[in-house]
Amino acid sequence: MAEIKVLTEHYHLPEYQTLAGYKAKGGYETLPKALKMQPQAIIDEVKASGLRGRGGAGFPTGMKWGFLPKNGEPRYLLCNADEGEPGTFKDRMMMERAPHQLIEGMIISAFAIGSHKGYIYVRGEYVYPIEVLNKAIKEAYDAGLLGKNIMGTGFDFDLDVYRGAGAYICGEETGMISSLEGLKGQPKLKPPFPAVQGYLRKPTIVNNVETLAAVTYIIKDGAQAYRKHGTEKSAGTKLFSVSGNVVKPGNYEVPLGYPLIDLINKECGGMKPGRKLKAIIPGGSSAPVLTAEEVGKANLDYESLAGLGTMLGSGAVIVMDDSQCMVDMLGVLTHFYAHESCGQCTPCREGTGWLNKILHSILEGRGRLQDIDLLIKVADNMKGKTICALSDAAALPVLSFVTKFRDEFEFYVREGRSKVKGTTYAEMHH
Amino acid sequence: MPKCTINGKEVEVKEGTSIIEAMQQSGDRIAHYCWHPGLSVAGVCRLCMVEIEGNPRVQIACNTMVTEGMKINNTSEKVKDAVKWGLDFHLINHPLDCPICDQAGECGLQDQYMEYGKYDPEMAEHKQKKHKVVDLGPTVVLDSERCILCSRCVRFTEEVSKTNELGLFNRGDRTEIGTHDGMPLDNKYSLNTVDICPVGALTSKDFRFRQRVWYLKDAETVCNGCSTGCNVKVYYNKEGFFRVKPAYNEQVNGHWMCDEGRDIYKFVNKEHRLAKGMIRQGGTWKEVHGGAAAKAAAEVVKASAGDSLALVLTAQYTVEEFEAIVGTFVNEFKTKKVFFWINNKESFDSFDGLLLRGDKNPNTKGLLKVLEKHGITATWNDLSAGLANGSIKTVVVAGPENMAAFPDFAERVKELSKAQNIVWMQATKHEALTNLPGNVWLIPVKTFVEKDGTFINHAGLEQKFKKATTIVSEALTLTEAALLLAGKNLAIPASGNEFKPMNQRADQVELEARKKNEFVFRRGSL
Repeated sequence: MAEIKVLTEHYHLPEYQTLAGYKAKGGYETLPKALKMQPQAIIDEVKASGLRGRGGAGFPTGMKWGFLPKNGEPRYLLCNADEGEPGTFKDRMMMERAPHQLIEGMIISAFAIGSHKGYIYVRGEYVYPIEVLNKAIKEAYDAGLLGKNIMGTGFDFDLDVYRGAGAYICGEETGMISSLEGLKGQPKLKPPFPAVQGYLRKPTIVNNVETLAAVTYIIKDGAQAYRKHGTEKSAGTKLFSVSGNVVKPGNYEVPLGYPLIDLINKECGGMKPGRKLKAIIPGGSSAPVLTAEEVGKANLDYESLAGLGTMLGSGAVIVMDDSQCMVDMLGVLTHFYAHESCGQCTPCREGTGWLNKILHSILEGRGRLQDIDLLIKVADNMKGKTICALSDAAALPVLSFVTKFRDEFEFYVREGRSKVKGTTYAEMHH
Repeated sequence: MPKCTINGKEVEVKEGTSIIEAMQQSGDRIAHYCWHPGLSVAGVCRLCMVEIEGNPRVQIACNTMVTEGMKINNTSEKVKDAVKWGLDFHLINHPLDCPICDQAGECGLQDQYMEYGKYDPEMAEHKQKKHKVVDLGPTVVLDSERCILCSRCVRFTEEVSKTNELGLFNRGDRTEIGTHDGMPLDNKYSLNTVDICPVGALTSKDFRFRQRVWYLKDAETVCNGCSTGCNVKVYYNKEGFFRVKPAYNEQVNGHWMCDEGRDIYKFVNKEHRLAKGMIRQGGTWKEVHGGAAAKAAAEVVKASAGDSLALVLTAQYTVEEFEAIVGTFVNEFKTKKVFFWINNKESFDSFDGLLLRGDKNPNTKGLLKVLEKHGITATWNDLSAGLANGSIKTVVVAGPENMAAFPDFAERVKELSKAQNIVWMQATKHEALTNLPGNVWLIPVKTFVEKDGTFINHAGLEQKFKKATTIVSEALTLTEAALLLAGKNLAIPASGNEFKPMNQRADQVELEARKKNEFVFRRGSL
């Protein structure tokens, strides 16, 4: 088995970025077909395809759309392109290589849910993708694919790019909505859920770039064709961003259910010469880490990874070889979450900072043995206690790193230096 | 009307009630900081955890609505542990400066730690450093390190005062409350933020460091700052009054009061008060007992009874007092020359949309009611004319308590000084009074915190209030002054507290006694 390129088939063509290049490969052929369908039929088709949100949570897309109230209220379709999960870089490639794929998917999705206004919320650092998207949106407007009376069907849809300001939390859907409203990017209390009261307190659907792009292919070939790939509960293909100590890091589109070890050894060319696999974070930095032994049992689908106590997340596979110090690695992660916590809920605001301080005490040689258990206790009590999942995202890596590689932490506390590298924190970083 | 079970008790609540509201109704205690009944739900302190049957995770009570048959528990070990950790997260970066913190004694962190905490802290890292003594505006000072970021104050400026000065800045454990650039916290309701701050982060410039709260007693009364008649709590001890805070009344002021009203305690205190009666007949001032001054004035009042006697009233006294004094003048002295001293007439009807009204008298409606009852129609012009042509020889005046509301005080005093004899009843000292020419009897009277009575507010709502304490012991109420002016003696009021129930336990009796002790402070809910 190898890569199956559904979404990324033509990504190697530079002209695929333009309207003409996209049309040449069959782009915007699904749109007129979709606009002739009943909106409910599109929703049903997406439901039947088993498409699940590709942003991280894996929530069934069709079901999410079904939560919208059935009334005439204006509603919004927001595309989440904030892509802040460390290790993830698939949306960036999709927007750079195939902006029209996303636009077509958004028009179809907007038609299905009855929305006439959409935004693509792109993280501020993505300067080039924003440029490409803006150009593509202009092309689409000029070609009558966006705006009033799309392709003469009477359906109106306006689309804009909104540039974020570099906060991880704005990738959380309600945090993103706050940011889009011009407020501080802080998640909102749920209920009400965005589908009922979201952007500007109107019904709102937030979907990831990859999810929206996939909608076109589901409508094009039908749900059954989409289900051909992947597993019963995790249908279709998915992009995985592989980074770390492999020979060929990069984005790979494989069917869900694909063995993780094959992705590393076949697609990515295996570990760097002379190195041995030590651990993999399979779904972005928030996902609990897998040891080399567990990696052998893992398939890239929602259920298999959940069975191993971790998650598929955004599909960011971070590979670590035997030269990596896990204490040092965790220090990077705790620093990230302490920096990115929005500061709203107390357990997360204080807990992320506390975890980071404990970890850096250990790294700098001031650690106490009880600190290792304290890390677990603090992380345990941050889980499931807050408005959004950032607190859990900060706690899960700590719990998995400390329990699975406890010996390295204990060694570090006793000796004041890394077990793997043999050096102190200052020596490792300067 | 959904029914639910809270800690084993069945409770019926209105549709759309949150669990925390239901628990307040049922009298169950629940830890919380960010939830406030007068503000929107923020759900950020994560302390009001409850366990709901059928749900594996603990939930916050403030954002969960009660549904039919819900079984709620907040006494289980799971909830206790969650609350303990919730508190711990609040406390790890909180400075341990209670001994020098102004909030000590009425602090939410202290209270809830004693109730739900009491554990050994495990935090061994350096605490987060933040800004101290931040000047937010003319009334409020912020200590960011003490702040627990419950966002109550931010929500207050967004939702109640609608002035939006405050915001949350920065992220994570560096988050701080602050004012937006060029927008100091300067609005007419700013001090409410201090009341709702559960910790010592926001303190009032007026009150901070003046008194430890456990040396204060409190009593509920009605604000006499304007015709809204906000229900307030006044805090006092032997040294006088120290602050005023709002008391909840859904019909009148909700949870709030204005900053102006917080100053009403100032003129009540000794240093501003007329402590003794003063008489000047012919030559020099003579200091006498307050009651004696009234008795002395009785002769001259009696002598001018009839058309040459006038009574001037400000709407700053209670209905009962107006009734007594107007009754005395109409029935005993046979005069209907009773005049209503109206201050700032132009702004009388103004209203800022929340609480502040232009009528700076607490009892205008009450005075008008009494005047109408006695069929009094005299206007100020009649008084001016009478004084000018000398037909009014003696004037009895009940002057304002709150001088700030009477900018034209000195001017009016000058006009009234045309009368031969002036009997002036007044709570506060003023130069214009001691400079009065002719024969003057100054009688000290009680302020609103020193007497029982009724105010009728702008909406016609009668609000009864009780005496808090006595500041000037020689001061009289208008009722007493009316009796003395009519030449009668004061009846000793029957005490309502003589009966002591025999069936009380010894500790209950002791508790009653302790409540009367100066140093025991009865605290309101957080």
